[in-house]
Amino acid sequence: MTQLIQTIVLGLLLGGVYALLASGLTLIFGVMDVINVAQGALIILAAFMTWAMWSETGLDPLLGVLVVTPAMFLIGFGIYMATVRWIQGKPPSTSVILTFGLALVIEGVMGMVWTATLHRSTPSYFDESFRIGDIYLRKGQVYGCAIAVGVLAILYVILRVTWLGRAIRAVSANMSSARLVGVNPSTVAALTFAVGVATAGAGGSIASVLYPFLPASHYQWISRLLGIIVLGGMGSLPGAIVGALLLGVAETMTQIYISPQWATMVPWAVILIVLLVRPQGLMGQKLREDVAL
Amino acid sequence: MRRIVWLLALLPVLLALVLAAGCGGDDDDEGDGGGADTTATDGGGEASGDPIRIGASLPLTGDFAEPGEAARRGYEVWMEMVNDSGGLLGRPVEMVIKDDQSDQNLVVTDYNALIDQDQVDLLLGTFSSLLNIPASAVAERAQMVYVEPAGGSPDMFNRGFEYLFFAQQATAPHQADLFSEWVGGLPEGEKPATAAYIAADDPFGAPVAEGIQEQLEAAGVETVYSEIYPPETVNFDAIASDIAAQKPDVIAQGSAGLQDGVNLITALSAAGYSPKQMFQASTPSFADQYSDAIGVENTEGIFYAVSYHVDAPTPGNPEFLEAYRAKFNEDPPEDAADGYAAAQVLQAAVEAVGSIDDQAALKDWLHENSVETILGELSWDETGAPEQAFLLAQWQNGDEEIVLPEEAATSDTIVNPKPPWSGG
Amino acid sequence: MTAALRFPMRHAGALAVGALLVTILIFPAISDNRYYQTIIILSLLLAIMASGWNIISGFAGYVSLGQTVFLGIGAYTTAILSLRVFGADTFGGDAANPFYFVPISAVVAGLFAGAIGPIIMRTRGHSFVILTIAFLFVMQLIVLNWTELTYGNRGISLPLPTWPREWGNLPFYYIFFGLLLISVAMSWWIRRTKFGMGLIAIREDEDKAAAVGVNTPVYKMLAYVASAIWIGAAGGVYAYYLSFIDPRNMFDIVYSVFVVLAVLLGGRGTIWGPVIGAFILEPVNQITNNNFNDWVPGGIWDANVRLIFFGTVLVLVVLCLPRGIIPSIGDIVKRRREGGKATEVGARFERKPMRVVERAAEEAAEAPAGPILEVRSAEKRFGGVKAVDGVNLSVERGTITALIGPNGSGKTTLFNLIDGTMPLDRGEIWFDGERIDRIAPYRRAYRGIGRTFQITRLFRRMTVLENVVAPLRSFSWLRLGADAVSGPEAERAYELLEFVGMHRFAEREAGELSFGQGKLVELAQILMLDPKLIMLDEPAGGINPTLIAHMEEMVRELNRQGTSFLIVEHNMPLVLGLCDPVCVLARGRTICEGSPAQVQADPAVLDAYLGEDFALEEKAGVT
Repeated sequence: MTQLIQTIVLGLLLGGVYALLASGLTLIFGVMDVINVAQGALIILAAFMTWAMWSETGLDPLLGVLVVTPAMFLIGFGIYMATVRWIQGKPPSTSVILTFGLALVIEGVMGMVWTATLHRSTPSYFDESFRIGDIYLRKGQVYGCAIAVGVLAILYVILRVTWLGRAIRAVSANMSSARLVGVNPSTVAALTFAVGVATAGAGGSIASVLYPFLPASHYQWISRLLGIIVLGGMGSLPGAIVGALLLGVAETMTQIYISPQWATMVPWAVILIVLLVRPQGLMGQKLREDVAL
Repeated sequence: MRRIVWLLALLPVLLALVLAAGCGGDDDDEGDGGGADTTATDGGGEASGDPIRIGASLPLTGDFAEPGEAARRGYEVWMEMVNDSGGLLGRPVEMVIKDDQSDQNLVVTDYNALIDQDQVDLLLGTFSSLLNIPASAVAERAQMVYVEPAGGSPDMFNRGFEYLFFAQQATAPHQADLFSEWVGGLPEGEKPATAAYIAADDPFGAPVAEGIQEQLEAAGVETVYSEIYPPETVNFDAIASDIAAQKPDVIAQGSAGLQDGVNLITALSAAGYSPKQMFQASTPSFADQYSDAIGVENTEGIFYAVSYHVDAPTPGNPEFLEAYRAKFNEDPPEDAADGYAAAQVLQAAVEAVGSIDDQAALKDWLHENSVETILGELSWDETGAPEQAFLLAQWQNGDEEIVLPEEAATSDTIVNPKPPWSGG
Repeated sequence: MTAALRFPMRHAGALAVGALLVTILIFPAISDNRYYQTIIILSLLLAIMASGWNIISGFAGYVSLGQTVFLGIGAYTTAILSLRVFGADTFGGDAANPFYFVPISAVVAGLFAGAIGPIIMRTRGHSFVILTIAFLFVMQLIVLNWTELTYGNRGISLPLPTWPREWGNLPFYYIFFGLLLISVAMSWWIRRTKFGMGLIAIREDEDKAAAVGVNTPVYKMLAYVASAIWIGAAGGVYAYYLSFIDPRNMFDIVYSVFVVLAVLLGGRGTIWGPVIGAFILEPVNQITNNNFNDWVPGGIWDANVRLIFFGTVLVLVVLCLPRGIIPSIGDIVKRRREGGKATEVGARFERKPMRVVERAAEEAAEAPAGPILEVRSAEKRFGGVKAVDGVNLSVERGTITALIGPNGSGKTTLFNLIDGTMPLDRGEIWFDGERIDRIAPYRRAYRGIGRTFQITRLFRRMTVLENVVAPLRSFSWLRLGADAVSGPEAERAYELLEFVGMHRFAEREAGELSFGQGKLVELAQILMLDPKLIMLDEPAGGINPTLIAHMEEMVRELNRQGTSFLIVEHNMPLVLGLCDPVCVLARGRTICEGSPAQVQADPAVLDAYLGEDFALEEKAGVT
């Protein structure tokens, strides 16, 4: 029984961080209909940046979130203006191919700067745990999850309360109407992309403590993130959170009760099943199929 | 827009030029290769004449970058030492080293290029069973001797190859023979009752764990956990907590490299579980990298098997040690020593046969004779698998010590049981 | 341009391709260099993969990012069969010759495609792309974990080749070459046939293709199978060539993207584009891996710089050269050739009367009693909105029935329900005495329903004639292989174009037509189906009065020959002059049905639609 609870707790802690990482991806998709395959690489980039800061200055990686997030915001904005902007409105495969190319470029750059060996930020607490009864909670994961929740809360507030947030939701729902009420979709798109990448930044900083990473790690991340947003419903932020928690628990349960080898199958199996059985995921919108305008 | 199109249309023209240039470069005697070139140094001595070119591919980047680089250093030190003392058969040695990026397709292309494009005289192997399996097939097809420094998977040796030789003491399933023997030989009160086996899905790591499992089960130790993880696994928390729940006395990990071994220990420490005996394949042999990563107190008592020890009284070891320390300011890791030993094997065959032209003669000599290396004496069966035994080592007081066999031991105690983790 | 240059310039493309093929054929005779042979072998492999990908993604428009899954399936099939089933179960023992199993690899790959294809092609766009990636990884993981069959991560070592050493890699070389020629020949053949035309129609507008009778599920499945088989065969050969396979390298996502890049570079949807793209990309890939360090000062070229290089190429190709080299060059050439020619702008229409179609005449004689179309209590909702709320409608044979109503009253949705583009939530639809609301759109087209769209939908990259030939009245496996544009069908299509007055545009691309011209072509399209019922969605919308009169004439003529009509229109004079009865829809419900005079006078109609102050006047010259 303890084993089960421990497993579930591990899964939830994992899911919390996953949720933050997936939120950016689902936001970008919801507004721009672009699947940003480079999101995984951007997460690793943030992890490297945090690690570099930590190893040079000793700044705690979890505090590094405060520095890395704005930096990633600017990077995201730059990427959008240079590349993604030009493919808006093109068929979906185009965005996948383009962002895949971006991911390769980012991976190469990281390899050049930091070399392709495993890195990990290891502040003093990284192998320590809180103990509650028989359950062990790794400190790094608890802190990380807490920060993830915090950032998600801030994101939520931004979406609900600020003008940008409302504009994002408007464009998400109906681009032409949003235009009619004075929202400039391309500005909103650029800002959304930047926000999406910024959340990857925050998540990446946290990930730098939790998991060793190297430039090629982005493939593992993007598969998980795709699984999460498909499960939760592409474009839905609450869906991404729910999906992330479910996927985190599913992964740890598979690792323990089936075998570690099958655990990597979980995100893909989720994608296959959801897209075939219920394409809109748990909480996504059922797309209105307007055939004739 | 048009400009881009013309630019891209020019690409085939560019390509033709490239090929022409490549063609021209073929006959150059300057040892143009790709990747990281290790060309001949200014060897003094009496080495003269056309250089003997030895080609190898190594994983200088990618998953196996750390041991790959170590092996390269081993090759480099050997080359310099040979050139400083008169060369091979009186001729200077030149090495052409390519980077296969830990990728199997690239390693095949690399060896094809070394044989056909660079037209090297001799070959040396790459690092890891995963890469050596396909590479050795290329060499076998070209009927060239292939001495590999690291690749002990049983799958290497059941293909009927004649030109393949493994420059370590034993293959993977037998890596931990001495450990299993020791555990099985413990008196009743001390002998462990249960064991957990966790291995990377890797041609080397998995057989090591399997070998131990077979031997310990035969000795009456009950298996309470046995799992395989994908080699790129970085998060061992769930696995560690699962193992901890079974409370095994022994934990044996068939790790694939440095990181998975380190991550398992960190996860076990965080889960608050420390076994009585712990064995890891290869990971603890990473010397300072290992003790830095997990903390030197946590290394105490961990067993592993090695092919090499810096204090081993084997022929040529002190000279090797001196040259390596002078060049790289640190002690050679095991993989560097293995690289050096592989080159030694090749050297011995060439010098005994007296020429480099008859690869068949070289392979026959190696099958019929043994070679003294810094790892000790090596000899091979008809499949190229070595017939000796690994050394059993253990971390004690922050140092790596050989504990078995007694003739080679550098410490006369064995730490048992392993003290609990510090921190956590 | 001198005469001497004209021939090569005209046929530059063919010459280039020919030169490439001849070079490949004779290269081993002029050079012994195995390194270059290796490059060519790998380029041939990439070309085979690109050519296969092109069928499902270039022709049919279903972009797959996981095509290497078939390479892996083929490789493992050959390896497992040659080692474990018919041979010794040890690596390198007396195993059966792997070449024997290459055809089986092709078949197995095809079977996988045939089984999985229909399932994953129920989705489109984003979802399909993601699903192909998921399919690739799931297969990789299955092969990885099913160690009893596949040896998992340890991989499978194949026996060394048994031929004399002097032959080197030549058997592989020529077998790959042969596979490439077969694959390209199949591509070429598909493009010429009705099958290929159907695929392009699906790419251009899948729902429209279904509406004009293209059996989309079968076509897509066949395309996926066709894209897989030669890749499967190549996989078998590749395994033997490498002599070692393992799950990660055989099911590699990066190679998948590489294949896509090759096709994008060369030109998606062309025959030789994928081959040319492959022969540019792979040599660059190999040479940069091996030789660049010699030229780049400081030897900085390594794995990372390669990643950056290829990532950048990918990004640039997507941004700057979306159509690929061949089509872009083709465009430039075409522009130069045709620059300065006058178009058909403003030309007067010349119509010819339509000859009576035998089928319509026969069936008119045998027609059973009862309305040709009957909608009973149809309901359709989108989220919370009920677009169609219990509509009852019937269209009598031989009538021209009008369906009018304010914007948003559900008229177009009703059309979508009748022709099958949208599924019905509740209710029934009966056509010609048969219930049709459960059958697929293309089958409804076979039964005789033709429908135009409010905003004209044509297959933009096909010519006008091809557009009119594309509709199919029935599905038959044999007909798939028939030539796309030929025979009596092509004649009929041309006749129809003459009927609507667009015959002079037959060879122009449909995307170049004006709105009104497009409408006429769309009408010709559905006439190819010999429909019993034609549904016109705002035929008079957005066109000039002369053309409206033109349309009206055609409708009357067709009606005289027995075709029933259901017309949605806002142009009241046209409606009230042409149609009888008239049915009025408001807020998803029928509020009135009757003759024009009755409807004009009905207060409910006036209130909902026309408004109290509206007074109808018969405009001279229109009716």
